[in-house]
Amino acid sequence: MFSFRGCGGRVAASFTKRQFPLPRLSSDSAGPRTPHFDVIVIGGGHAGTEAATAAARCGSRTLLLTHRVDTIGQMSCNPSFGGIGKGHLMREVDALDGLCSRICDQSGVHYKVLNRCKGPAVWGLRAQIDRKLYKQNMQKEILSTPLLTVQEGAVEDLILTEPEPEHTGKCRVSGVVLVDGSTVYSESVILTTGTFLRGMIIIGLEMHPAGRLGDQPSIGLAQTLEKLGFVVGRLKTGTPPRIAKESINFSILNKQTPDNPSLPFSFMNETVWIKPEDQLPCYLTHTNPRVDEIVLKNLHLNSHVKETIRGPRYCPSIESKVLRFPNRQHQVWLEPEGMDSDLIYPQGLSMTLPAELQEKMITCIRGLEKAKVIQPGYGVQYDYLDPRQITPSLETHLVQRLFFAGQINGTTGYEEAAAQGVIAGINASLRVNRKPPFVISRTEGYIGVLIDDLTTLGTSEPYRMFTSRVEFRLSLRPDNADSRLTLRGYKEAGCVSQQRYERACWMKSSLEEGISVLKSIEFSSSKWKNLIPEASISTSRSLPVRYTFLIQTFSHFL
Amino acid sequence: MRKGIRIRGNGKRQCWGGARIWRVPGKAKPPICASPSCSTPLPNLRHLAIIEPLVYLTLRLRLPDALIRLPSGSRLCTRRSSSALAPGSGATIFALSSGQGRCGVAVIRTSGPASGQALRILTAPRDLPPARHASLRLLSDPRSGEPLDRALVLWFPGPKSFTGEDCVEFHVHGGPAVVSGVLQALGSVPGLRPAEAGEFTRRAFAHGKLNLTEVEGLADLIHAETEAQRRQALRQLDGELGHLCRGWAETLTKALAHVEAYIDFGEDDNLEEGVLEQADIEVRALQVALGAHLRDARRGQRLRSGAHVVVTGPPNAGKSSLVNLLSRKPVSIVSPEPGTTRDVLETPVDLAGFPVLLSDTAGLREGVGPVEQEGVRRARESCNFLATVVASVGAQSHSDSSQRLLLVLNKSDLLSTEGPGPGPDMPPHLLLSCVTGEGLDGLLEALREELAAVCGDPSTGPPLLTRARHQHHLQGCLDALGHYKQSKDLALAAEALRVARGHLTRLTGGGGTEEILDIIFRDFCVGK
Repeated sequence: MFSFRGCGGRVAASFTKRQFPLPRLSSDSAGPRTPHFDVIVIGGGHAGTEAATAAARCGSRTLLLTHRVDTIGQMSCNPSFGGIGKGHLMREVDALDGLCSRICDQSGVHYKVLNRCKGPAVWGLRAQIDRKLYKQNMQKEILSTPLLTVQEGAVEDLILTEPEPEHTGKCRVSGVVLVDGSTVYSESVILTTGTFLRGMIIIGLEMHPAGRLGDQPSIGLAQTLEKLGFVVGRLKTGTPPRIAKESINFSILNKQTPDNPSLPFSFMNETVWIKPEDQLPCYLTHTNPRVDEIVLKNLHLNSHVKETIRGPRYCPSIESKVLRFPNRQHQVWLEPEGMDSDLIYPQGLSMTLPAELQEKMITCIRGLEKAKVIQPGYGVQYDYLDPRQITPSLETHLVQRLFFAGQINGTTGYEEAAAQGVIAGINASLRVNRKPPFVISRTEGYIGVLIDDLTTLGTSEPYRMFTSRVEFRLSLRPDNADSRLTLRGYKEAGCVSQQRYERACWMKSSLEEGISVLKSIEFSSSKWKNLIPEASISTSRSLPVRYTFLIQTFSHFL
Repeated sequence: MRKGIRIRGNGKRQCWGGARIWRVPGKAKPPICASPSCSTPLPNLRHLAIIEPLVYLTLRLRLPDALIRLPSGSRLCTRRSSSALAPGSGATIFALSSGQGRCGVAVIRTSGPASGQALRILTAPRDLPPARHASLRLLSDPRSGEPLDRALVLWFPGPKSFTGEDCVEFHVHGGPAVVSGVLQALGSVPGLRPAEAGEFTRRAFAHGKLNLTEVEGLADLIHAETEAQRRQALRQLDGELGHLCRGWAETLTKALAHVEAYIDFGEDDNLEEGVLEQADIEVRALQVALGAHLRDARRGQRLRSGAHVVVTGPPNAGKSSLVNLLSRKPVSIVSPEPGTTRDVLETPVDLAGFPVLLSDTAGLREGVGPVEQEGVRRARESCNFLATVVASVGAQSHSDSSQRLLLVLNKSDLLSTEGPGPGPDMPPHLLLSCVTGEGLDGLLEALREELAAVCGDPSTGPPLLTRARHQHHLQGCLDALGHYKQSKDLALAAEALRVARGHLTRLTGGGGTEEILDIIFRDFCVGK
């Protein structure tokens, strides 16, 4: 369908108005040189990159607008991808030819499958990722994607026009206005601004407006959306401090080694880029009563924890863990941030204490007695848009051709964002081409569960994927995401490369062949009993028993 | 987009599109083993009593052959049934709505778009009567033109009707020939077909005229021929059964949540030790509770269909007199001659507010003619005499037996007032005189207690499972719990709990995954 490499010359990482290689230049009253795209994606995070590349894969001329090109593919919080439920999402993103799984296979430093002993339906593919490598590889991929243009710029407003009468919605989006007043027109717009809508960073009692640390929040856009009548809610999240690697005494801590061999995320890869013996270990330590004491003594200095805004229950700050489950040891995983990074990410120590107290608390923990905090942990409060205002194709009910994806919809996590990004990108493109939307149902994938939950129930805390949310968990395994989604993605959305499509077809026919061979096998019941002792099969049967019969009796309640 | 398959059970998103009629699996059998032929010789009963003769009353359960079938609208995870049965599919249905059998007036109802046409055809050449007004019409067979009956007809154009569709009621004379003639005539009208069981109610439900509890309660009200049934039907509307089921669902949801927590968080989060073991214990306890309740719950069905009371005992004890006394009508011929009753005679009666099928039987004796021998054999079969009556009397205990026994000593009027009463070694018994009526009140009170124990007194005790749907889902829940074992594949074990919970939440509503997550985050410090 396209090649990933060697198209760099057609793409501009940033441009002035005179340098449009791809977009149509509209000739209407807006001016002869006003650029015109099929799809504009606002935001270069995990949702934005997937949305932009998915729209481009579907054949749409796409513009990715981001504050800074050099932050594309930035992992703003934890240095890892995947996990239980999240690994499923990554496999599904990959089945639709999304980026993050392939990039992770090129950028990981510690690959490990969780839940291996609990059945293949709930395996959790996970990896520690080198932040720098991930960003580099992602940017390389983005900047070499055909039909995709990247431009730096902050969006201040949306251009709205009369609605199409055959669709619902009070108006239709037809482009964006940038901070400098310039306009860019498009057929669809995807908003993936993450926590930037009225984002506030909180450390101790200090608060300052921002998206991620050092970035500008999107205030103009937030006002526009509110004026349009979108219902806005407020959520909070947090991130732990970063610790200097050489200041930690790893020798007294529990070491966790990666899997050997590594299981890649992408269906297209047989191996990952790095050998298991070259991968980095993680370490485990625990909190103790002195940590509790510091938290409890300094609650008055901690405005973030006291706020009533809902934070994620499954990604709690150390303060809320101490408050809700006192007198316990809490786990702290020390995770590498990259091959040549001198930072360690203390997973489980998300906190918003004043910076000087953070180091004081951390040095109470075993192995961290001499730890140096390089960057303090902080809390983020941000606006999200009630996701019940969008359709299963992620288009808003209020504004035609406007799509929302990622954290703006109240989710948390790179994988959840990426999954929505792919779907928004595909549907923005299909919408431009007046094709029916591409919707994954709850029966077909974790992506379907994610979007169905969001669009029908909404969320009151940052939404994270869990396998327990999935009714058809036994059928929606990470290993069969390709047979569930790749063929549909190829035929209905056109977002899947020929190479991947052929591979999925080959896999499907191989599996069907294998199943028909299995179905044809007949053994005596006593032989089956020897082969599968768990099967409750009567050995008194004199006739040969087919495998299918055995399966039926074995998994009776399924 | 999500047509066809209902996905999950969150209350906000219930979909009734897949409502379908269910059937009780298999044909309901009498649960009590009634051995078809009893070859064991009759016990010598004489030693049991000092006053002769004896009348034994045993109560036994009779289950109906087919239970009333109703829409199971609350199925949350069901596929669309065949279009022929789907509500609003356009077919017009008809059925005899009053009880079967001979009666003064029988009511035949139709529902659906062709109702008006059917009425016009049967009452030709007259036009439709005014809406909701009773009119006298001559009904004729449309094929032969032959008059069928002069009947009162009522025309209810939808939506102001019981089902919300166009409805017609024919109030005809209750003779079987008239009823079957009108039904056949309706069957010959194009677009009409006989209704499935419960289909009128289901259409009313589909058109928003009734909600599910009302449907279920209504069905019982229709059949509440007696006071006790009426009270139970009313109680069900209050949702007491729902309350009990919600308790179980809560337990199960918690156990499932703990297993789910172990799946979603187990490895690198520190769940406490023993999470799975605790879930195991809870599941086992729930299995026991459900099993006990289900065994108990059969009583609910007995109440709806009627308990079976068999009067049995030696010849000439006055069994037939007692039956006639209890039913207040001459069911059986009585005479001083032993062996007057040679067959089992059954009559439905209302005993102390309970529906009862009262059976008179031949006196149990040997050495008589072949006809009476057959009668004795049937009598034994009818009460499974040896297995329960004697054993119960001998053990002086009713607790283990599903058949209950009242020992009644008749002809107390023949006792001399000063003479010796029943000996101290007699089993508990009642004295009665069918001639004077003395002791009848005591017998009725004792019967009420016994019937309440068998049927369940709806004004006390745990709510009964009157609807086979409830039993079906509780049984389904229990079966699924049986498949829960923590095998190598924990996801499979969790699936068993999910299936079990699905059954319970079909009775109670709710059942979304948020409940699971709420418990996980309440009970565990998970997440990083």
